[in-house]
Amino acid sequence: MSTVATTALPRAARRLSRATLVWLALLAAGLATGLGAWVYQLANGLAVTNMRNPMMWGLYITLFMYFVGLSAGGLIVASAGRLFGAARLKPVVRLAVLEATVAVMVAGLFLLPDIGRPDRAWHLLRYPHFTSPLIWDLTIVTLYLLISVTYVWVYTRADLARAGSRLALGTGTGVADAQRDERVKGVLAAVGLPAAILLHSITAWIFGLQISRGFWYSAVMAPLFIASALVSGTALMILLALIVRRAGRVSFRDDLVAYLGGMLAVFVAVEGFLVFSEMLTAAYPGASFEADPAARLLTGPYAGFFWFEVIVGLVVPFVLLAQRRLRADVRWVALASLLAVAGILVHRVNIVLNGLSYATVPYPPGVSIGTRQPMGSDSFALSLFYKPSLVEYLVALGVLCFGALVFTLAARVLPLREAEHAAGGGAE
Amino acid sequence: MAEKVSPIEALPPASREYGEIGPVSEAPRWGMVVDQERCIGCWSCCVICKSENDVPLGMWWNRIDTVGDALDTPYLEQGELVMHWLPLACQHCENPACTKVCPVQATYPREDGVVMQDSARCIGCRFCLVACPYGVRVFNWGRAERPTDFDTGMVEPRPIGTMEKCTFCVHRLTDGQVPSCVWSCPAQARTFGDLNDPESRVSRLIRERGGSQLLEERGTDPRVYYLPPRRKRGLEA
Repeated sequence: MSTVATTALPRAARRLSRATLVWLALLAAGLATGLGAWVYQLANGLAVTNMRNPMMWGLYITLFMYFVGLSAGGLIVASAGRLFGAARLKPVVRLAVLEATVAVMVAGLFLLPDIGRPDRAWHLLRYPHFTSPLIWDLTIVTLYLLISVTYVWVYTRADLARAGSRLALGTGTGVADAQRDERVKGVLAAVGLPAAILLHSITAWIFGLQISRGFWYSAVMAPLFIASALVSGTALMILLALIVRRAGRVSFRDDLVAYLGGMLAVFVAVEGFLVFSEMLTAAYPGASFEADPAARLLTGPYAGFFWFEVIVGLVVPFVLLAQRRLRADVRWVALASLLAVAGILVHRVNIVLNGLSYATVPYPPGVSIGTRQPMGSDSFALSLFYKPSLVEYLVALGVLCFGALVFTLAARVLPLREAEHAAGGGAE
Repeated sequence: MAEKVSPIEALPPASREYGEIGPVSEAPRWGMVVDQERCIGCWSCCVICKSENDVPLGMWWNRIDTVGDALDTPYLEQGELVMHWLPLACQHCENPACTKVCPVQATYPREDGVVMQDSARCIGCRFCLVACPYGVRVFNWGRAERPTDFDTGMVEPRPIGTMEKCTFCVHRLTDGQVPSCVWSCPAQARTFGDLNDPESRVSRLIRERGGSQLLEERGTDPRVYYLPPRRKRGLEA
C-alpha cells in the first residue's frame, strides 16, 4: 500500500499529519491486540468467550450481520444514484462504494473468529452443502465484495491513470475511455442493486428460516434486514462523508447532507413500521411460540435494549430528520445518524439475544451448558444472560481496527473527489 | 489411540440377550419409544451415555427434563399434583432441521435414519445448534475435561471446536445391541427397534399406547416417540 501511495500520490502520502499518524498508530495497536486475543482464543477454544450451548451465537455473529447491513449504504447510494437519476449523490459515490467494500470485508472477517475450527474453513469450498443458508450467504458476500472492489476501481481508475498510479492497470484517459467507463458503471449499477438486496435477504434467511426459533421464523425478516441495512448504511455514509470532508478528501455542499438526511428519515420510518408489524404479529395471539420472545423483548431482562432501539434508534432520529429546519443543519443530521447507527446495532443485538436466549423445550434443568461448571452450580441452563467476554470484545476491536485501517489508507490513496471534468454537475 | 474392545463380547449370555435388538426388517429405520409412565427420573441413562460415549464434563448427550417448572418437583394439574419426566436426547428426526443448515454436510441422516455427526469435517459454526428445536446438540467449547485421566467408552473422543451428539450408539447397533440408555434403564422405560416393521415392539407400542412426538408441530418428524403417563395418581395440593 505505502509504496503505491508514494509513487501514485506523493504529496498526499508524505503529508501525513500528526493526527493521522496517531490515528494510524492507534488502529495498528488495536489490530495487534485483537490478533493477540484471537491467538489466545485459538489456543483455548471458544470456551474463552461467553457463548455456550444455551446461547450459541454472540457478539461475532451480531457484528457480522451489522456490518453486512452497513455495507448497504454504498452500493445502494451508488446504484440508486445511477439507476434512478439521483445525480446529486455523485460527490459521495466513490466514498460510498469504498465504504461498502470495507464493510462487507469486515463482515466476512467476523465469521472467522466465530467458527470453532478456522483451520477447516476450506471445507466450505471442498464440501459445500447447498441447502445451508450459510453457503448462500458466503457466496453472495464474496460476490458483493468483488462487485464493490470493481466499483471502487472503475470509479477511480481514470483519475488514478491521470495521476500516473500503477493501480490504474493501464487504463486510458481519452474520451472513448470515459464513455466506456460510463457504460461499465451502468452495468455495475444494474448488477449491484439486486446483489445488495440479495445480500441482505440471504443474511436475513440465516435467521428467518429456522423453525426452531419462533421469534426469527417470519417472512418479515428479509424486508426488515433490507430496511435496517438502509438505515445503518445511509447513516454511516453521512457520518463518513462529514469526517472525510473535514479531512479534505471529498467536497460537497451541505444540502447533500440534508438530502441524505431526508432519505434516512424515510428509511427509519420503514424500519419502524416493520419492527412494529413484527412485534404486533408476534404478541397479538398472547400465547404462541412467537409470543414469549416478544414479551421478553417488551418487559424481560433485555427490555432496555429493545426500548433503546425504538426510542433512541428510531423515534428520536425520525423526529430530528423529519424537520426541514433541523435537516438543513449538518450537526443535527450527524447526531440523528449517530443515533440511528447505534440503534441498528442494538436492533441486531436484540435479534440474536431474543432468538437464542431461551430453551425451545422449556422444562428444567434445560440445555447442557457445555463446559465444566464450578462445584455446586448447575451443568444445565434454560437460558443464560449473555454478555461478551473480554476476549470477544478484544477480537472484535481488532477486526474493527483492521477495517478502519484499510478504510483510512484507501481514503488517502484513492482519489475520492469527483474530478471537475466529470460529466454532469455534482450539485443540483 | 488404543484399540477399543467391545465389552459386549464379555457380557454374560443373559445380559447379552437382554440387549439384543432382535429380528428386524430388511431395511430397518431405527426408532425409540420412551414411556413417561415408567420413567422415574433417575438419570441412569444419562450417566451410562456419558461413559459409553466418553462425553466430557459439562456436556451431556442425554438428559432428563422434569415436566413443569422446577427440577424433580410436581406441578398442579386440575387441582392435583402430578410429576413426570421427559428424557431428552437427539430425536433422530425424519426431517432434521440440523442437517439441512450444515454448510459442509458434517451432519447427515444415514440410510437407517440415524442422524450422524462427522467430527473430522465439522467447522464449528454451530448453525445446527441454532436450528435444532430440542437443544440436544453439544459443542466442544474448550479442551475436553474428564473425571478420569483416560478416555472411557466405545468411541473416539471428539476434537475441540466441533459439535457432537447422540448417535443411537451406532457402534452397538452394528453388534445387534440396543443403545446403552435402553439397556441400562432400571424401569425399562425405553424400547428400541425397527419402525419399518409394523409388528416390532416400538411400532406396536406407538400404535397401542398412543405414542407422540415432541414438538410435533415443527414438522421435524422425530423417530423418538413418547408414551403418555397413563395414571395421574394425584396428591392433594
